[in-house]
Amino acid sequence: MLLALSTPYFSQSAQQDVALTLQATVLRPFISTQERLAESRIRAQPIDRLQAQLDSMIEVSATRSVLADENRRLRELLGLSERAGPRLLPATVLRPGTPGSESMFLVDVGGDDGVREGAPVLSAHGLVGKIREVRPRSAVGMDWTYPDFRVSAMLADGSAFGIVENVRGAFREADRLMLNGTPYHETVPEGVLVVTSGLGGIYPRGIPVGTIAGTAEVQGQWLKSYWLRPAVEPGSVTHVLVETAADGADLSSLFPSDSVSLGEEGADRAPEP
Amino acid sequence: MSAARRWGLWVLVAGLFLAHFVLHVGLGLGRGAPDFLTIALLLVSREVGVGTAAAVGFAFGLVEDALSVLAFGANTVAMTAVGIAGAYTRGLFVGDSKLFVVSYFFAGKWMRDFVHWVMVGNELRQGFWDQVMVQGMIGAFYAAVVGVVLVALFGQSREA
Repeated sequence: MLLALSTPYFSQSAQQDVALTLQATVLRPFISTQERLAESRIRAQPIDRLQAQLDSMIEVSATRSVLADENRRLRELLGLSERAGPRLLPATVLRPGTPGSESMFLVDVGGDDGVREGAPVLSAHGLVGKIREVRPRSAVGMDWTYPDFRVSAMLADGSAFGIVENVRGAFREADRLMLNGTPYHETVPEGVLVVTSGLGGIYPRGIPVGTIAGTAEVQGQWLKSYWLRPAVEPGSVTHVLVETAADGADLSSLFPSDSVSLGEEGADRAPEP
Repeated sequence: MSAARRWGLWVLVAGLFLAHFVLHVGLGLGRGAPDFLTIALLLVSREVGVGTAAAVGFAFGLVEDALSVLAFGANTVAMTAVGIAGAYTRGLFVGDSKLFVVSYFFAGKWMRDFVHWVMVGNELRQGFWDQVMVQGMIGAFYAAVVGVVLVALFGQSREA
């Protein structure tokens, strides 16, 4: 029992060594199974054929076809990836589904592919999270539901800046994003897009974080906070792009306004009134 | 316990270990799948000594912690505590009535979730009511149902 109680206090490197060893041995078959399942879903049909079929089957697939839904997401990512060039690396997301792993995910790209610690993870709709640990052929990421998530953000037109942070809900699915620290005199209407500002050096400028969904609180007569409708619902993300360059470039051109639809991925997590 | 029964128990535990990770990690079912790992630990804890139960709990917890980078150690502590508590129930509760088996799996799984909730740390800890009372109770009920079925199927109950 004493040994068990001491495990949370192992050094970070010791914890990583133990986790890595177990993932590479005992858990390898199970992780591989999830990887193979994800790959088989992707390769179920050639992408080109699916793309051709998608347009004619949109009515049916919009309601029922998981495969077509997968294809649509891949097309969106493909479009984003082509716009970004080699700086964004496509990856498949694996979620362990074990207690304590709710905010983390594994991606099937790692240090050998150019992934670095702290690299932003994006979907076609916006910011998913960032990479926390890098291994040679895989990496561990945290999505925005992680309690310490913070990102410097601004309104898309640059008229106000603030910090977006995770706010815990009464239960996990009720976690929300809040834009803090915007000027009191700046009234932001609902629906305005909030993007990363590039300040702080972790997240490049121009990645959609969410849209304004109402005033959260007013602090004195100085600051206002706003609830955000997240651009990305992390639980629904199966494929992402990991940024490999750390040059602080502006990525706003990758997300033209017509691509920043919050339809499916971000609509479900509506803020509390 | 006869040698055949002992072997059968460990084969069952190994099977539940595999099933747990195939369903939770391999297929990514998450809470949709029962917590076979805790059920296996509770099964084995009734048949072995405190030390062995603690060791099995420690090993199971450590494997789960390998996938929970943000709260490393929480599962290890929880599973070790459940293993020890399960082994002690042999001395406290004699007999394997249906009511006891249901209560045993329910309490064991709920205790596992409660200890994990305590150990997971402030930054990751969800509200007590949601995490422990609502989700914990549902998970405990799920484990109790599956545990009772397993005991009945594999003849682990002395009553059967």
